[in-house]
Amino acid sequence: MFEDRQDPVERIVSHVRHPVRIDPALDGRVMQEIARGESVRAPGAAVAGWRWLIRPRQFAVSPLGALALAAGLAALMLALPRRGPRSGLPAEAARREFQFVVVAPRAARVALVGDFNDWDATRTPMRPAQRGGSVWTAVLPLSPGRYRYAFLVDGSRWLADPAAPHVHDDEFGAPSSVVTVGGS
Amino acid sequence: MTTRPVPHGLRSLATAGALAAVFVATAAAQDHPQDPRLGRLDAGARSLVAVVIDSARAAGLPTEPLVQRALEGATKGAPGSLIVSAVQRLAADLGRARAALGAGATPPELEAGAAALRAGAGTPVLAQLRRSRRQTITVPLAVLTDLVASGVPVDSAAAAVLALAAGTRDADLIDFRRAVERDIALGAAPTAATAAAAAGLQSTDATHVNAGARDARPGRP
Repeated sequence: MFEDRQDPVERIVSHVRHPVRIDPALDGRVMQEIARGESVRAPGAAVAGWRWLIRPRQFAVSPLGALALAAGLAALMLALPRRGPRSGLPAEAARREFQFVVVAPRAARVALVGDFNDWDATRTPMRPAQRGGSVWTAVLPLSPGRYRYAFLVDGSRWLADPAAPHVHDDEFGAPSSVVTVGGS
Repeated sequence: MTTRPVPHGLRSLATAGALAAVFVATAAAQDHPQDPRLGRLDAGARSLVAVVIDSARAAGLPTEPLVQRALEGATKGAPGSLIVSAVQRLAADLGRARAALGAGATPPELEAGAAALRAGAGTPVLAQLRRSRRQTITVPLAVLTDLVASGVPVDSAAAAVLALAAGTRDADLIDFRRAVERDIALGAAPTAATAAAAAGLQSTDATHVNAGARDARPGRP
């Protein structure tokens, strides 16, 4: 079957041991091809970032961990400043001082009461413009909004402000006025 | 059966979670206790007013105007039944105002809207005012209400305010109201006074370059 008597295995080994000649520039060409392929296929940073963002992931959270997370979020919501009753208004900077004046001859004390002081007759006492005079005044900072108010003379007599609009519906049998504070 | 020790970090997390849960539960229980200011009402009126206030809160309506109305009644010595009915009426008006002005209306806008409705303005007027003005409409609504209280027919007052609201500042609208009231006090017919003041304001819009100076002294109601 073979022309010579050499063992076929030895012939193969002999052939494999024979050095193969390789083009010395081959390495350089291969590396160039690899570099060129990467530069063509590599996405930009924005694309890579977007893919990272939209790639679905699975998170494993224990029930206790979920409870802690929910409780933390709820605590954060409670800690945030709430919208108060007049919180749709501009901040404190928008407050303006208003002067309230009433003429009450022979009055011993006059109080300004209204939506701005919980209708508490003790919180905003008015002062006579002159000692023993009949003109009583009070200056109050007010945020934008609409307030009902009245003057309480000697703790028993209610007076509306003659210089201000009166309330349209006097539901309690004693007159009140309104002051409107604008924001612009 | 073997047990593995719980990692320290997990124990801390569990402790923090438990504490936070207790805090949240406590805060929720105390979130809306009865307003202590309502203690000035008699017991019967207090519980009924509290129910109205809770209902308003649940409906997303501002509750402070209701509290203030109840306090006004208590300070003026009104009977409890009168206070309760006034608070109920105001709550209903606030709800109508919100329906007209939209869910984004602020509490002062709703309060002013409720007063305008009580004065006789229709909900279409409120909705139109909302559309016509980008800024808050608290003052236009208040001016509308005050004009009606001064004797101006509601249709005339609404027409004037709607005409002015889009391009007029709050301060100028209040000046407009004062001008109408002054002219009425001097004997002018309310409708004529309103029309004259509105025309005057529209023709002098460009003269308010230095109007901010008016803030230097305390304002007057």
